[in-house]
Amino acid sequence: MRLLLVEDEHDIQTFLEQALTEAGYQVDVAPNGKAAESFAQANSYDILIVDLGLPDQDGISLIMHLRHEGVRAPVLILSARRSVDDRVRGLELGGDDYLTKPFALAELLARLRNLLKRNVPHNSETTRLRVQDLELDLLKREASRGGQSLQLTPQEFVLLEYLCRNAGRVVTRSMILDKVWGMRIQPDTNVVDVHIYRLRGKVDGNQQTPLIRTLRGVGYVLKER
Amino acid sequence: MSSRSDKSVMHSAAWRISLWATLAFTCGTMIVFVFIDRFVANDIQRRSDAWLSGEVEVLGDVAERTPDDALYNRVVGEVAELASREVPNKAPSQDDDNDSVFFLQIGKDGALKLWVGSGDGQAQLEAIRAHTLIIERPSSIRVRGIAIPFRVAAIAMKDGGRVYLGLSERDEQRVLRNLRLRFFLLWLSLVLLGFAIVFFTTRRTLSHVRGINEAASRIGQMDLKTRVPTTQRNDEISQLAVTLNRMLDRIESTVIQLHTITDSLAHDLRSPLTAIRGKLESSIAGTRDDQQLETIVSAIEELDRLTDFLNKSLDVAEAKADALRLTPTSIDLDALLGSMVALYEPSMSERGLRIRFERRGPVRIFGDEGLIHRMIANLFDNELRHLSSGCTVTVYLDQSAGGASLALLDDGAGFDPEVKASLFTERIKGKESTGHGLGLAFVGAVVRAHSGTIAATNAESGGAQINITLPLTSAEELSHQVVMTS
Repeated sequence: MRLLLVEDEHDIQTFLEQALTEAGYQVDVAPNGKAAESFAQANSYDILIVDLGLPDQDGISLIMHLRHEGVRAPVLILSARRSVDDRVRGLELGGDDYLTKPFALAELLARLRNLLKRNVPHNSETTRLRVQDLELDLLKREASRGGQSLQLTPQEFVLLEYLCRNAGRVVTRSMILDKVWGMRIQPDTNVVDVHIYRLRGKVDGNQQTPLIRTLRGVGYVLKER
Repeated sequence: MSSRSDKSVMHSAAWRISLWATLAFTCGTMIVFVFIDRFVANDIQRRSDAWLSGEVEVLGDVAERTPDDALYNRVVGEVAELASREVPNKAPSQDDDNDSVFFLQIGKDGALKLWVGSGDGQAQLEAIRAHTLIIERPSSIRVRGIAIPFRVAAIAMKDGGRVYLGLSERDEQRVLRNLRLRFFLLWLSLVLLGFAIVFFTTRRTLSHVRGINEAASRIGQMDLKTRVPTTQRNDEISQLAVTLNRMLDRIESTVIQLHTITDSLAHDLRSPLTAIRGKLESSIAGTRDDQQLETIVSAIEELDRLTDFLNKSLDVAEAKADALRLTPTSIDLDALLGSMVALYEPSMSERGLRIRFERRGPVRIFGDEGLIHRMIANLFDNELRHLSSGCTVTVYLDQSAGGASLALLDDGAGFDPEVKASLFTERIKGKESTGHGLGLAFVGAVVRAHSGTIAATNAESGGAQINITLPLTSAEELSHQVVMTS
């Protein structure tokens, strides 16, 4: 996977480059818009990370320009701005994603994987999800583990479906709030944890192998194997 | 629809101004017309009196000089007859039937000597006898059987007799009547024309004011980019619009400045925070030691709290300057609250709290969904932190003409009396609170940014109560939104 990181802050550049390389990406770093343009011309990238606050130009203009030049790869926008620009919303609707600084590395990686997955023709016809012995019937909205039916509330079903779709990948609390509840909030309290705790009680309650794992300070993961 | 617009026209300032202006104009023109009428009536009377005085003198002279023989009656009668044909103000189409003038001569004994006119003159004689006529000064006399009075002049003769010349006031009255009718029609059309002119000009003028008002209230609610409409004319209203726009330019530039400051502050703090967080996270991967891992994770958590504090402080600072950035859409507050209650319910019940949502159906408001989400989250977080186990939180949502009203009531200990008065001020928190005292300040800020109201009280039962009202989506905003999204 080839990735172009457009970021001017040296410290962030360094740790991101390291973390992304460790995660298996082949990373090119552009410190400004000009460099990003020449990188994008010279190579073909699978995904781009673009910081909005570049020294020579606005990140959005850069994305527009790259799109105009025929770059189709998904873009993860990094923003230090507090309020989300309408144009960012527009890009988000167009399939790209954004993260506000500071962010959890795990969240960044999770969102990147999401974007890449979204870019691959995705089988929307799926009516069943299966992770180990956990099975979800998306039409009947029913879940079972090891053949035993699970009594889930509609909300819990949606949450479990989200975890299953991202099985093996870390999902953060803010991702869960964003994608399951449709809210970009950061509660001071443990609202998401309690939902997970309840869900875990039903899914992993009397099982030998727990599926839902907590990664403290980061989020949750549904084990694939 | 038309009756509604009629009603609104009759309630408009333009209508009131035109009514008062027309009333003043009506009174003014009426006074002028009354004066003209008096003047014209006096002038007509003066002219007919002059004619009467002249003619009676001539007739008296003729009667004096004519020998009192058999031809006397014929001679004097003919002269009187001729005189009556030169009556002033006589209607041209009137026939020769001479009932508007009479000539009457009485002898020394007061008996009728000569009569020229229609009828036998007895009624006129009677009327004249009833009056003490001042010689040579014409006056009005009513004659029995004739509706219209006569103007009569008299002259004394040397033989002790008298000559009277009477002129019916009929022609005079007709002239005056015609005049008044014309006056009245002229006056009526002037008044109507005046009303129409005043009404349309004031309405036109005030429509600019209305435009300015509508634009200004839109600006007050959400966006600072719009300007009030200006006109080409350099009158007071266009000056007002220009002044308002200049004021808005200044406010906008101040707000932009504030945004720039908060943005750069946020940026300057966020970049190092991002770097620190990233480094801490990277170091987790290489750590096997549990205690070290614990330290790193708690550092990350502290960092996240710091970020949250930074975000909320900047939001409250912006909101205090009425510069909170909104991206408003039409939101169903009922659905939004429903999903937030569902989100918080497990946490509440884990803490031994109950949450109830009393709803009455959809309530649409025009607001920033993200901010409203964060506002409700703050309120619920607050309850989670401060309520003791066993308490119930009740959320009421209703709508009235005043807007959407949202109430949050609990049966806990209520607000600390020391902080109650300044709950929505930042850094104010109860003694036992572990938060940074920005939660309710932020809630207050979001409500104000949406032109709503917020109040916190302790309920009679002792619990804390927060009442919020938010303006409902108006049809205009809905259509505006449809236009924007389509």
